[in-house]
Amino acid sequence: MKSFFLAVDIFLCLMVFLCLYRVVFGPTLGDRIVATGAIGTKTLTILVIIGFLYGRVEMFLDISLSYALLNFIGTLAASKYFEAKREI
Amino acid sequence: MLRQKYEDVIAQTSVRIMVPFVQLYALYVLAHGHYSPGGGFQGGVILAAALVLIFLVYGYDDALDRLSLGTAGRLCSIGVLIYAGIGFICLLLGGNFLDYSRLVSILHVAPPKARSLGILGIETGVALTVMAAMYSIIMDVANSETNNNKGDTAADENQTGEICSSGK
Repeated sequence: MKSFFLAVDIFLCLMVFLCLYRVVFGPTLGDRIVATGAIGTKTLTILVIIGFLYGRVEMFLDISLSYALLNFIGTLAASKYFEAKREI
Repeated sequence: MLRQKYEDVIAQTSVRIMVPFVQLYALYVLAHGHYSPGGGFQGGVILAAALVLIFLVYGYDDALDRLSLGTAGRLCSIGVLIYAGIGFICLLLGGNFLDYSRLVSILHVAPPKARSLGILGIETGVALTVMAAMYSIIMDVANSETNNNKGDTAADENQTGEICSSGK
């Protein structure tokens, strides 16, 4: 069971690089914002799985909750900024 | 630009529902700092995040109505006062600075409980200070942006042309 979750974790880490490609070379700003949000969501899942592997899910759950909150604030600030600029 | 209200039903409703839960979570992080990651600084940052959410969505003036910069400055000082006050109470009771076990003679509980309550007290002070300082920094940054633009709008519009004027 643990090796399965380790494999899932490594797979998600590789997927983060695909999203990172979209952030760096994304043609539009919308792509970049959504890819940043997707990286945040993947990081959250990776954190919870790491918590399961270490046997301390409740500790890593707190960290991932804070991470989700900061991710939401970041996306909100970026979307507000670019809506005001109107050049997406 | 950042000072304006964000006229969006989804953002406003979600933030209105989220803010109390974010603050509750901040208090959990603050009080549960012994057993899980967290503590005064992290709890204060999450409390400030709730205020930043209000500022981002409901605008600069509404955020100032809820917590003015003067009150934030006072909260900042009160947090330091709580921290140093608990430390000096321990000093007055005959121990070292922040020697919580001396608080037994005031609180009338067992020494481990007194240490735990003392740490919770100073963490509360740290959280108040961090929250007020973060909030003041963000509000000052948002305020300075518009003040600079007010000074030379003509030069701004000549430089960046259509993007800037359509933004207003």
